[in-house]
Amino acid sequence: MIEVRDVSKSFVSDERVLKHISTEFHSGKINQIIGQSGSGKTVLLKCIVGLHIPDSGDILYDGRSFTAMTKKEKMQLCSEIGMLFQGSALFDSLTILENVMFPMKMFSDKNDKEQQSRARFCLERVGLNDVFDMYPSELSGGMQKRAAIARAISLNPKYLFCDEPNSGLDPLSAIKIDELIVELTKEFQMTTIINTHDLNSVLSVGEQIVFIHKGEKAWEGPKEKLFVSNCSELNDFIFASEMFQKFRTNLVSEQAGHS
Amino acid sequence: MNPLYHVGRYSQLMYRCFSKPQRIGVFLKQMIKEIDRLGVSSLFITLIVSLFMGAVMTVQTQNNIENPILPDYTVGLVTRDTLLLEFCSMVLCLFLSGNIGSNIASQIGTMRISEQIDAMDIMGVNSANYIILPKIAAVVFYVPILVVFSMFTGMFGGYLISVFTDIITTSKFIYGIQYWFIEWYVYYSLIKAAVFAFIIASVSAYWGYYVRGGTLEVGKASTRAVVSCSVLILLADMILTQLLLL
Ligand SMILES: Nc1ncnc2c1ncn2[C@@H]1O[C@H](COP(=O)(O)OP(=O)(O)O)[C@@H](O)[C@H]1O
Ligand SMILES: [Mg+2]
Repeated sequence: MIEVRDVSKSFVSDERVLKHISTEFHSGKINQIIGQSGSGKTVLLKCIVGLHIPDSGDILYDGRSFTAMTKKEKMQLCSEIGMLFQGSALFDSLTILENVMFPMKMFSDKNDKEQQSRARFCLERVGLNDVFDMYPSELSGGMQKRAAIARAISLNPKYLFCDEPNSGLDPLSAIKIDELIVELTKEFQMTTIINTHDLNSVLSVGEQIVFIHKGEKAWEGPKEKLFVSNCSELNDFIFASEMFQKFRTNLVSEQAGHS
Repeated sequence: MNPLYHVGRYSQLMYRCFSKPQRIGVFLKQMIKEIDRLGVSSLFITLIVSLFMGAVMTVQTQNNIENPILPDYTVGLVTRDTLLLEFCSMVLCLFLSGNIGSNIASQIGTMRISEQIDAMDIMGVNSANYIILPKIAAVVFYVPILVVFSMFTGMFGGYLISVFTDIITTSKFIYGIQYWFIEWYVYYSLIKAAVFAFIIASVSAYWGYYVRGGTLEVGKASTRAVVSCSVLILLADMILTQLLLL
């Protein structure tokens, strides 16, 4: 479980990007952070993983406070974290196999052969079987995402973070990637946090949802309550498209029928 | 743009950069890759630039010392000393800062905006150390070697002038470039080259490392890298000349 306690963040000479955010993310579940572009989702995720240092507040990883950690404990935590970046962030001077081996090369005591077989296993797990020696630029967007997932899980992380995992993908690939993340989360009982602005993804895989609006937590709750909230910002966000407006009308009339 | 802000941030980056590499083997591999990638491509421009510098120096010197009092070998001597003292280190490094500096800045900048640097940081890899140190080591290692090449080709350029034109006779030129040779000038030049190389690699890496935004900013960073490297090289040249020669 990851607890975020009263986190605020601003950048040099800018207004505050995150304002007093507190929330919890549970293990074995798909936690999603949703919100418009520019609302601060990426910044929040990077604060949680320690890429940005919050101005105030604290993050607790299963009770371990991030601000109180020593350097050694932080390194330990790093090996428990896997992250999937928005643009995949594969190292473009390395082949796919070397990319997946990279975290192991730097940290694990396994020899080269064991590292290779672990990397192959991870790549096969995400459905990439014959691209080991290709470079990232030679792969399609969806395959790059898969390779990045393979790299993220190569050290068996406890926590998985995904920044817009299905942005820039066609709907089918997007769903596949989402499903893969869900499978892995359940398989390894990870605490998974996904950033997204894609409602399809929220509806298909989301469980616990946090809605960020202009740097503030405007709503949180389980997916089932998403459509019946009183939060006007959330409703504006969800029902922006006509399709979801119709969806709501149906939902309301259905409920009226039930009662 | 506060200069002190950049000095501070640059120092911090260098502090992080100069720690012991997590894996020495990986570091050496990276360094060799960089030498191959940056060094070999700069060799060609070094040779071309030096050849012409030497040739032009010879012609210019001859033009400017039409003077019965000065002995004939002056042309060779002046050409040699100017090449050794300034041209093969300072001018060459100005050229290289355009070539190597912009390359380093844009490469690291691209890694930054595509979040590759974040990806490293999150794995607990010291990204400054992993990315920048091999580049600095590689550049500081081979730029002095390029300077040696440059010295030879520079004088060869002058020699070609003496062979193919009648501005100066070959024998006088040869005599001149051997006359009153001061060995220290060569070492002086190599020391300067190493310092300039460090400036080129570290300052360009700095601009690349702190890019924020998109591809446009990467372009800006590489321009900034070249401009600030050039200015700093000239500044360092002045200081080093005071320290080492006077
Ligand atoms: N390193 C940074 N320095 C300054 N401002 C930043 C930085 N990173 C993000 N921001 C600002 O924070 C805001 C939120 O950005 P972000 O978290 O990327 O939004 P999104 O929800 O689309 O992921 C944006 O206005 C952006 O300009
Ligand atoms: Mg984002």
